Amino acid sequence: MSAKLTLDGREVLFEEGETIYEIARRSKKDVPTLCYDDRLDPLGACRLCVVELEGARNPVASCTTMATDGMVVRTSTEAIEKHRKTLTELVVSENPRGVEIDPLRGMASQELALLAVRYEADGSRFEGATSGRSRKDDPNPMILRDYDQCISCYRCVRVCAEQEGDYAISVENRGFQTRITTEFAGFLEDSACTFCGQCVQTCPTGALGDLRALQNADVPGEIEKTRSICPYCGVGCSVDILSKDDKLVGVQPAMDGPANEGALCVKGQFAWEWVQHDDRLKTPLVRKDGELVPASWDEAFERAAEGFRGVEAKHGRHAIYAVASGRAPHESAYSVQKFVRAGFGTNYIDNCSRA
Amino acid sequence: MPTDQDLLERWKDEPAPLLPLLHAFHERDSYLSDDALRVVSKGLRIPLADLYGTVTFYHHFSRVEGGRGRPRVCDGPICKLKGADTLLAELDGATAMPCAGRCDDPIPVLVEDRYMVGTPGSELAETPAPMPTPNPGEREECCFAHIRAEGRATLAGYRDTGGYRALARAVQEQTPGDVLDVVDASGLAGRGGAGFPTGRKWRAVADAPGEPKTIVCNADEGEPGCFKDRVLMDYDPHAVLEGMALAAYATGATRGFIYLRYEYPHTQAILERAIAEATEAGLLGQGILGTGFSFLIYVRRGAGAYICGEETSLLNSLEGKHPFPRNRPPYPVTHGYEDLPTAVNNVETLASVPQILDRGADWYRSLGEGEHAGTKIISLSGDVLRPGNYEVPIGLPLETLLFEWAGGPPPGRSIQAVTMAGLSGGFVRDLDVTLDEPCLRGRGSFLGAGGIMVFDDSRDMIEVARQAMSFFAHESCGKCFPCRIGTQRLTERLAGEAGPRNADVWRAEVHDIGHTMAAVSACGLGIAAPLITESLLRDFPDAVNAHLENGR
Ligand SMILES: Cc1cc2nc3c(=O)[nH]c(=O)nc-3n(C[C@H](O)[C@H](O)[C@H](O)COP(=O)(O)O)c2cc1C
Ligand code: SF4
Ligand code: SF4
Ligand code: SF4
Ligand code: FES
Repeated sequence: MSAKLTLDGREVLFEEGETIYEIARRSKKDVPTLCYDDRLDPLGACRLCVVELEGARNPVASCTTMATDGMVVRTSTEAIEKHRKTLTELVVSENPRGVEIDPLRGMASQELALLAVRYEADGSRFEGATSGRSRKDDPNPMILRDYDQCISCYRCVRVCAEQEGDYAISVENRGFQTRITTEFAGFLEDSACTFCGQCVQTCPTGALGDLRALQNADVPGEIEKTRSICPYCGVGCSVDILSKDDKLVGVQPAMDGPANEGALCVKGQFAWEWVQHDDRLKTPLVRKDGELVPASWDEAFERAAEGFRGVEAKHGRHAIYAVASGRAPHESAYSVQKFVRAGFGTNYIDNCSRA
Repeated sequence: MPTDQDLLERWKDEPAPLLPLLHAFHERDSYLSDDALRVVSKGLRIPLADLYGTVTFYHHFSRVEGGRGRPRVCDGPICKLKGADTLLAELDGATAMPCAGRCDDPIPVLVEDRYMVGTPGSELAETPAPMPTPNPGEREECCFAHIRAEGRATLAGYRDTGGYRALARAVQEQTPGDVLDVVDASGLAGRGGAGFPTGRKWRAVADAPGEPKTIVCNADEGEPGCFKDRVLMDYDPHAVLEGMALAAYATGATRGFIYLRYEYPHTQAILERAIAEATEAGLLGQGILGTGFSFLIYVRRGAGAYICGEETSLLNSLEGKHPFPRNRPPYPVTHGYEDLPTAVNNVETLASVPQILDRGADWYRSLGEGEHAGTKIISLSGDVLRPGNYEVPIGLPLETLLFEWAGGPPPGRSIQAVTMAGLSGGFVRDLDVTLDEPCLRGRGSFLGAGGIMVFDDSRDMIEVARQAMSFFAHESCGKCFPCRIGTQRLTERLAGEAGPRNADVWRAEVHDIGHTMAAVSACGLGIAAPLITESLLRDFPDAVNAHLENGR
């Protein structure tokens, strides 16, 4: 690192190409943001990240301002905090008051609510028209489109374009009439949307929500997160499994997942309900006189072993081919390949995941 | 009737094709249908959702059948005084459009590409824009020096009055550096609003790596109360073209765009004819005047969005992107059109250049009052006897312009306030100022693009302020929070639609919103808009009190 700037009175070294915001964040400065997602090109929309820059007439948005050698930056002066408070009060005023945003709506869904607490913006100032127009009529079963909560930060539009490459959603109209839309203001299922859910997870207000997870909003208990890997395919996306007590209530992508950096596909994101589905088998079944009937584990293992041995004896070990299910736990997938490779000495092992 | 394919073939390989292609469909079908957008999306490889969103950004693109033919009636601040609301009600299916740049005339009405003017109860007439009157102070002019000469808009007439002499000399005898030196020395600064020194801008483009370089003539003239660029283009189009060619020669640019506001369709025809004439005569195009210097100019018509006059929003619009302003730095001089070095200049700035090169930097400097260099065209409108465009020496006392040149207010009236920079400079009540940036900035305003609207003592300043703020709210692009929400909240408060009832709380809210908008908005629109409310609070406390007592 060759260049340095002064940040709140202390010298900090930085690399060419870093923004003031990036430097401030790694220097543990708590600079607030709403339109920022570090995977996306900074847009400079919310203006909460403004800082004082010596020599500049006005505060600058730190997220879009590249650091240059010798800059003198102050991240939190009285004047800056006053602007941030006013901005927060303004943005809170554009949504209907008093709506509880369940954390199951999405990973970033509490950002605005937390900011409102930080700046004591309770919605009592700047009353006036609200800007969002909900599309709760969208019949898709996965994504809630509650634009009454929308603050036009455009994170959803940018994540869809820059991360997912789908360009399914965009910005309609301008000014206070701005809305998030699809082509011709239609439903998601008629658009280019792949239901990857990334827009849901980056939304800082819960305007976009995970409908599958929200079915569990009323389940009592605290949400607990368990880090895991999505079993559906070979990419290996990191996920956080959300649970309340022993009930699975949702899945969220892991921002620090090396393979996915916060991305998932429709399966990893939304297809987990089967885990706790009533139709799942609860005992092994064996076929007797052409009918599947419940059996004990011992009986089932006996029957399976008998079948495998018979095939191996008759056709040789390479006649055995196993396909593990993408819906089975990782441990099972591991056991199956061990069983086939070590047990039978064949390489005919595969997995159904082909995402 | 041309097929979809015909239209696509006509435009898809042209530079900056999106706007002209959309206009072609808009003209053919009288609106932009879903099918048309599908064809354009596929043909230009723009995602359909993006295209749809972008089309809805522009005020004049209609998405309902027959929409293009519906009359658009100007309801800008001055036309409101002339009865725009009545005219709107009189005309079948009419909708309002923001100031259409003809405030010194009756009310503009646009029907398809016919630009007419009229007042309630009268016939609409397609008449040319008023010619500036001979300078009432008999001051020497730069831009208007020859504009009144017969036939100046034609190539022959332009050359008869010295036109293209500067360009010929530049390309045949001078280096680009020579041209830059003259422009630098003249003190010419941007006439589009920001007042950036033109020589410095051009030098930055000349020095920036990357090719091809581009000259953009900003002819969006969206600021309410500004109608000077139109007059220059209508009556002196070759001066604008020559200015662009000189800019290109000085910077090394090879292509140019004129970004023209939607509301000036006949101006487009004038410009296109002038470009054809000049190209024919070897003054534009490949190998200008037999030298190795080439420069092509394309006219691109906007579609109704004030923000597209902001240079980076303009560039996004040209490129077919959603017209939000870009974050700066980098500036257009290094990362402009298609991310390559670009000089964006106002029409008036460019039209001054041929004269400056022809007559010299010292001559131009000497046109200003005292220390000030050069001239500025002021579009004067509202409650004065002789509204119109006046080219004033920079530094002229405002009162000289208002009372001596323009005849003062109507008999029996006095001037209550004027606006500056169209609406962007807010209100000025104390008329004892001079028309130059140092003086006006010292009073919390600025000269900007030079639109001055006059309001006499019969006018309701709260209502004028409400209209002004609702213009900014209508035109806010919606990118940044302070402006998107702030313009809305200020409009509501001025209209008495929402907001606190307690007068002190009301003032505190209005002031806090304005203060934050001015400090942290992402572009000049949001930074300037609160000058309306700030000057209202400062200069018209009684009107504010009355508003709070009665209306709320
Ligand atoms: C909201 C907004 C609208 C603007 N509209 C115009 C315009 O219509 N015409 C113009 O020349 N400049 C306009 N400008 C200024 C341009 O951004 C830019 O500064 C100018 O075109 C540069 O040319 P100049 O240096 O010759 O003035 C506008 C700026 C803002 C912030
Ligand atoms: S779910 Fe994915 S594809 Fe669909 S709109 Fe959101 S980000 Fe785009
Ligand atoms: S839906 Fe959410 S992410 Fe998208 S613009 Fe609105 S608040 Fe931002
Ligand atoms: S200040 Fe207004 S017009 Fe400018 S970027 Fe922000 S919202 Fe858009
Ligand atoms: S985080 Fe910088 S403007 Fe939103």
